[in-house]
Amino acid sequence: MTAATGAGRRAASPERRARRGAAGRAAVYALLALATAITLFPVAWMATVSIRPNVEVMKIPPQWIPSVVTWQAYAQVLGSSRYLRTFLNSYAIALTVTLLSLLIGALAAYALSRFRFRGQRLVMAFLIVTQMFPLVLLCIPYFRVMVRLGLYDTLTSLVLVYTTFTLPFCILMLRAYFAEVPRELEEAAMVDGCSRLGAIVRILLPLSGPALVGSGLYTFLLAWNEFLFAVVLIESWENRVITMAIYSLLAEFVTEWNMMMAFSILASAPLVVAFIFLQRYFVRGMTVGAIK
Amino acid sequence: MTAGTRLAARQDVQAYAFLAPALILLVALLVYPLAQVIRMSFFEITVRDDRWVGLGNYAALVQSPAFWQAAWQTLLFTAGSVVAHLVIGLGLALLLHARIAPRLRSLFRGLLILPWLLAPVVAGMIWALVLNPFGVLNGFLTTVGLLDRNATINWLGDPRTSLLSVTLVNVWRSFPFPMVMLLAGLAAIPDELYEASSIDGCGPAGQFRYVTLPSLHGVLATVALLDFIWTFRAFDLVFVMTGGGPINSSQVLATSIYFDAFQKFQFGYASAEAVAMLVLLMIGSIAYLRRAVPP
Repeated sequence: MTAATGAGRRAASPERRARRGAAGRAAVYALLALATAITLFPVAWMATVSIRPNVEVMKIPPQWIPSVVTWQAYAQVLGSSRYLRTFLNSYAIALTVTLLSLLIGALAAYALSRFRFRGQRLVMAFLIVTQMFPLVLLCIPYFRVMVRLGLYDTLTSLVLVYTTFTLPFCILMLRAYFAEVPRELEEAAMVDGCSRLGAIVRILLPLSGPALVGSGLYTFLLAWNEFLFAVVLIESWENRVITMAIYSLLAEFVTEWNMMMAFSILASAPLVVAFIFLQRYFVRGMTVGAIK
Repeated sequence: MTAGTRLAARQDVQAYAFLAPALILLVALLVYPLAQVIRMSFFEITVRDDRWVGLGNYAALVQSPAFWQAAWQTLLFTAGSVVAHLVIGLGLALLLHARIAPRLRSLFRGLLILPWLLAPVVAGMIWALVLNPFGVLNGFLTTVGLLDRNATINWLGDPRTSLLSVTLVNVWRSFPFPMVMLLAGLAAIPDELYEASSIDGCGPAGQFRYVTLPSLHGVLATVALLDFIWTFRAFDLVFVMTGGGPINSSQVLATSIYFDAFQKFQFGYASAEAVAMLVLLMIGSIAYLRRAVPP
């Protein structure tokens, strides 16, 4: 992986090559550091705003360093049972959606990777097409159907809807992984008297741990960050999720920037922490479905 | 029935048994609603009943300047985002792929992915803070002398800059996806190709032109199309940052459909608009489908 870019400079003398290599590496580091600084500046700014008094937020020229550090904005968010409730709702929904998608997705992915059956290409095409639906198109019928079913303004409606749009992604991702696990292992287990389901649970799933972590994390991210369906299907504060709460903050407390930023940081923290520990799986999960 | 076909039939039954939960859910919550939208687009929907209007909603749609404006702005927003994503993504992927310490590589990669982890709503809020007329961007620009103190720019509140601002924020949030994909694509190029090209007398520029780009062709096409689809249907960022305003200057199809349906309660008209959007998206998707489903 690392060898590619510098591989082809045979002609230059070794010393010249080494010098050019060192200078090149320094330039690469400098450019990467610059890109990272620009990319992360808004995030860093958000962090400093969350711990400063609100009067120091909008100033020209900007006050780069807060004069005092205050945790009052965080206290305001965490002290409100209404806001805490939205965190609880988001966790409940995102975890349920993740488990459901992995369970149903693993079954479907198994069928797609282990059987050859009539209509297989059609099912694959269907799964790929479903990922392209503009979600706003589905909002209109969802709204009517959920009202009719009495599920409007319930967390159940969000779990159903989120699972629907995360599922095709999960299936395709898991299928790509399963295809890499040699099927002979399961066949051997089945010859030894394991049932098909037993072979899946004892052989395939343990070998697909990284796949389950990767697609699970991505599903969690999608469900945790979703906003449109929540706005359309949820009304009461009791059932709101974090993205809605953030939007309400923006609409209601137009000027309380420190509180909004504190809320945003608390809302992003679970994903960032999970990402730090699971970056490997996550990156693999992002790439496996589409590179094939 | 021969043994072969019986075996095939048994395979079919088993496969569909495993697929059943997923297919039932997707048919109930994707295919059925899609059929519903198409049906609704031929009706005028009121609280009491649905009245058949034939192509009336579509006729109103094509005559509406607001629809064409939203469609055009969606195209600008999407094309600008996708091109910028690919250029920035490829540039950063090349930097990350250079011969640097593996630990630093994964550190930089991790830091650069961060915007993509944030909810679009959160990203929108951060940038509403940065782009505020009294915000840090104007503050910075006046401090370094690029902007006069009394002529600061209302990035999101000025019809001339609102669409551009929203597009730039989308570029910021979503470039990590192409970056990571292209990095994986670069890693998959065999070293032999570079060796062979250098024997043939290729310099770094020639290698990029004749080895790297052609080898990445497949990944680039896939990423471009996925990004096209995701950006084309994007809703959250625009809704949160500008609400499509001021005076529709940043309205895209997704937000326009939302407002028509859930603020004006013209469900029939909004359905027609949604179907039109789907058709436009499908044109892009068919190309992707050709790539993604191997024959």
